[in-house]
Amino acid sequence: MTFGSGAMTNSIAEIEHAQVVLVSGSNTTETHPQIARRIYDAVDNGAKLIVIDPRRTQIARHAHLHLQIRPGTDIPLLNAMMRSILDENLVDDLFIEMRTENYFAMRDKLYQVDISQAATICGVDADSIRLAARMYARAQRSVICYCLGVTQHVCGTDNVRSYANLAMLTGHVEQEFTGVDPLRGQNNVQGACDMGALPAVLPGYMPVADETARTKFQRAWGGKLPEKPGMTVLEMTHPADGKVKAMYIMGENPAVSDPDLSRVRHSLDHLEFLAVADIFLTDTARLADVVFPAVTFAEKTGTITSSERRVQLLHKAIEPVASAWPDDRIIMELSRRLGYPMDYESPAEIMEEICMLTPIYGGMYHDRLDAEWGVQWPCAGREHGSTQFLHKFSFARGRGWFEPAEHQAPVESADADFPYILVTGRVYHHFHTGTMTRRSQLHNREYSQSLIEIHPEDAEKLSVAEGEHVRLTSRRGDCAFIVTITDRVSPGHVFANFHFTEAPVNFLTVKQSDPVAKCPEYKVCAVRIEKVAA
Amino acid sequence: MNRNFILKKDHLQPLLRKLSKTHRLVAPVRNDFGDTLFTEITRLDSAVIDLQNQPQSSLKSFFFPQQETLCSYIVDKKLNKGKMEYSFHARLPENAPTVFFGVRSCDMFAVMYTDMIFLHQHERDIYYEQRRDSSIFISIGCNRPFANCFCNATRSGPFLDGGFDLQLTDLGDRWFVETGRPRGVRLTEEWPGFFTPVSEDDKRKQFQAELEARGLFRKLVHVDLAVKLLAESEPPERIIEELSRRCQDCGGCAYICPTCTCFNISDLALNEDSGERIRSWDACTFSGFTLMAGNHNPVNAASERIRKRFLHKLRHDVEKHGRPSCVGCGRCVEMCFGGVDIVRFIDMLTAAGENGLQGEK
Amino acid sequence: MMRNYNSRQTAKPGKKPVPLFADRNAYLPLRAIIKDIVEENELVKTFAVVFEDEIYNTNFTYLPGQFLMLSMPHCGEAPISFSSSPSRPGSFSLTIRKAGKLTSAVHELQPGDMIGVRGPYGKPFPFEEMRRHDLLFVAGGIGMAPLRSVIEFCLDYRADYGDIKVLYGCKTPADFCFRQDLEKWAGEGLITTRFTVDAACEEWNGCVGLVTDLLDDVTISAGSVKALVCGPGVMIRFVAERLLRSGLPAGDIITTLERHMKCGIGVCGHCHYDSRMICTDGPVFTVSQLPDLESL
Repeated sequence: MTFGSGAMTNSIAEIEHAQVVLVSGSNTTETHPQIARRIYDAVDNGAKLIVIDPRRTQIARHAHLHLQIRPGTDIPLLNAMMRSILDENLVDDLFIEMRTENYFAMRDKLYQVDISQAATICGVDADSIRLAARMYARAQRSVICYCLGVTQHVCGTDNVRSYANLAMLTGHVEQEFTGVDPLRGQNNVQGACDMGALPAVLPGYMPVADETARTKFQRAWGGKLPEKPGMTVLEMTHPADGKVKAMYIMGENPAVSDPDLSRVRHSLDHLEFLAVADIFLTDTARLADVVFPAVTFAEKTGTITSSERRVQLLHKAIEPVASAWPDDRIIMELSRRLGYPMDYESPAEIMEEICMLTPIYGGMYHDRLDAEWGVQWPCAGREHGSTQFLHKFSFARGRGWFEPAEHQAPVESADADFPYILVTGRVYHHFHTGTMTRRSQLHNREYSQSLIEIHPEDAEKLSVAEGEHVRLTSRRGDCAFIVTITDRVSPGHVFANFHFTEAPVNFLTVKQSDPVAKCPEYKVCAVRIEKVAA
Repeated sequence: MNRNFILKKDHLQPLLRKLSKTHRLVAPVRNDFGDTLFTEITRLDSAVIDLQNQPQSSLKSFFFPQQETLCSYIVDKKLNKGKMEYSFHARLPENAPTVFFGVRSCDMFAVMYTDMIFLHQHERDIYYEQRRDSSIFISIGCNRPFANCFCNATRSGPFLDGGFDLQLTDLGDRWFVETGRPRGVRLTEEWPGFFTPVSEDDKRKQFQAELEARGLFRKLVHVDLAVKLLAESEPPERIIEELSRRCQDCGGCAYICPTCTCFNISDLALNEDSGERIRSWDACTFSGFTLMAGNHNPVNAASERIRKRFLHKLRHDVEKHGRPSCVGCGRCVEMCFGGVDIVRFIDMLTAAGENGLQGEK
Repeated sequence: MMRNYNSRQTAKPGKKPVPLFADRNAYLPLRAIIKDIVEENELVKTFAVVFEDEIYNTNFTYLPGQFLMLSMPHCGEAPISFSSSPSRPGSFSLTIRKAGKLTSAVHELQPGDMIGVRGPYGKPFPFEEMRRHDLLFVAGGIGMAPLRSVIEFCLDYRADYGDIKVLYGCKTPADFCFRQDLEKWAGEGLITTRFTVDAACEEWNGCVGLVTDLLDDVTISAGSVKALVCGPGVMIRFVAERLLRSGLPAGDIITTLERHMKCGIGVCGHCHYDSRMICTDGPVFTVSQLPDLESL
């Protein structure tokens, strides 16, 4: 994209040496506690913390400046911040000159930006925007951490580009302690992406359209690889009828986690064949024709790649319980029966093949990962060290590309029929669709009900009290929640999590997604709220 | 009077081998991943006993496991003319004579504290007792305190006067051995070949080591002053507020703490007719800790929970048992994500104390 | 009324009962059988319970204010206070309001069904200090349960106490428990009673208002009266504050507190209250022992 690869440019440990940390769309304390810890350390060391979030999260309570913007208004905010940086002459000219392209288009675009107009769109005051710009630009070492609050919008890609623009404009990238760091949603999302679990790329982000890359994999694997990108998850769970006939789902629970659930469940129901591998019988597994009991993390050996590109080897701690199998064994057995025998004798052998075929993982041999505390990619071979931060001396794509972005309003906005904006996300005590944490007595005691956060003013308008039940209705469906009244949300906004299968919030969410990343707009949908009996 | 001996370093392994014939042997062992943990040693020759690093966790889980089954239960609705029959079957741990070797003073002291909690209050805890019975502690005084240690301030180290069966002091090529409880004395009598008499020079060296150790603490933590300030007045709201804002509610501090003994009891249904009653570690910093039926919570605010945690260690246990229940092992300093450890609390409190607590509220 | 005064089963004031549990294991419940169930109201039932093993029925003693840990299959344990008096042996009663998972399961039980119990635990009401005093009982809702135990007990040693006055407030007329008992005892001239409900309604022609309002008609002569207050936290607070204003010393206002508990024997930590454990240092406290009333 803008820099040329999608991963945290810094290491997690670098954050504590930053002078300014800008956190956006991340409830860091609850979702990435180990990163929040570094942010605390940075603040203890005197760093300034700026938080951009529609909610007053715990990390926002630590912020020197909290920009409580309306959901989906990152671009106008960032354009305004950049305009202010231009106005105050805080631009890093040398960096732009040496390392970037398309700056003049960017500058022309910014000269059209009206900061006070942007402030109105975002719902924050213009002086705070200017202050944030000044804080971020003037420090030598500024880090941006962003999470799903930035990406889960129809303009997610443009949002990310805008943060990259901000970093390039001020030269806050390509160095130790400064950069742009996406915090990944789950422990091995990074590894899955690295291995090409994306529709358009082969392992190591080599495009499927690239013939040289294809040839390389074809020679290793035999057979012919498709030339065109495959389908995204959303295209599979919301397909034109009959387009997808069979699915094999591993460790995912789209029957709860994907947007516009009525459509998802309809699609899954109408498959000719569905196989699911998971550690528990999830809602998705219940719909399957065949369920493969898979082992948990403790029963298998393999690597996970963390947000900071660190490939870490995890060893099996216990033997598989009952008849559960590790994923590689399930896949190999399936593959054999489908006429393509695979017989890797160990995860280490699989990793050897990864090292051979994926340059960024070139040196990630198991024995080496064991000896060190993981290795950060890119690591081209055994002799190569770990890479602490990316884009040293140059961006992966050569020069960083300024891509000016335009505000794009969320798909839905509040209106007379659906007067509230619903933001969805996670809570501290539960993980994803709750398949694991909802089975833990302690987690359930700590967070036992599907709560909806409502601002005190709205609660008064709706005449609902703490603990009462409400029904939320969107254009796609409805779902019941229990009210918790809090000023974490601003008036007109409500927040719900998607951990509770008995309150599947994704019946409400929109399926429209970002045109490039195909990430759906989980963060904004219009709803109406009615009080109901318990 | 307790006697002192010399145990040559070369003779330690042979002694442990003798002991391991009749006892389970537990010692700090460095595993393949570089972590040092108290571990049951099954093969003495291949185990790497690590006395250079602080074990990552204390002995707590050996007597009070993170999770244990108290009893199983069976429900039967058919037996007695449709009336529900309900029976309980205790699952007592086996009483395995164990030698705990390489126990640091702080952890030794913590065992004495948990003994008081589980054995010397209103009822004896038979589960703890079974595990605790017939254990022998060979502790090691700390010539060189570890990075976060402050046991000098909590008076639970670096060397102890009692509580251990044997306490060793490193004198270079030999261990200086002090006998404590009767089991330790018996041990020296059973294996007289290993324990040779001490010279005046050994005694001097031992005294010197103890003296020097006191000067080597890197952290100066004013525990006594904190206890005094808390006995006189409430901790400033500002401190509690700041710490509770940083607390991420993970419970790590209580789990890692050698003297935190709060637990939960809950039923784990195995099927409709049977299940197990499980005891597991709990933490007073969890909001569900005090949650009552009907969602009423008398201790709801994060600040109340943080206050409870520190006051329990530094005020309530002083009132009840005459001394704070922090043993100065410093593990919570390393563990806490948010820096909400007892050292930070004491530092903030005593710093505020210097400016006068009253002025601050 | 002075039944079984000399029988060996009878608990006597001042002697602390010994808790019972199975196999010398403080966590192992004894098996007990529901003998009888009385539906007090829609949400509250009183269960008469006997031990399965006769030997415990003869050895078991408790005192009003104490509680036991009740086990239900798959639900764990919960502390439940006695609502019967130990002066009437044979069985003991537990009055239970349906509030959570365990109590809802208890409400499904039928006579003959089995439960697990261990106890009694906690400090009882201070009968030695209550003797020769007038007693003023103030109850709110289900708070009547432990007080009923005290009232019945005092009636069995009626001569030891002066006037006994019971003030009882509930949300609605349907929420009262033991109203017949109380009215019967009042009819026999043993006690006087006053009832009130929070809001007026058709089937109620009694007093309307908070239970504190009933105190307006009560003359309190400090020194000769002990007040026993039990109910929701806020109610305890308001009644206690009202009584303090009337000149009653904090040491003469006695209440019993409720907390989440797991062990009942002062170890698990859940019922912490300052440096104290409600299960072993309470649940009965005088107001002078409480640091502040606002956190009740």
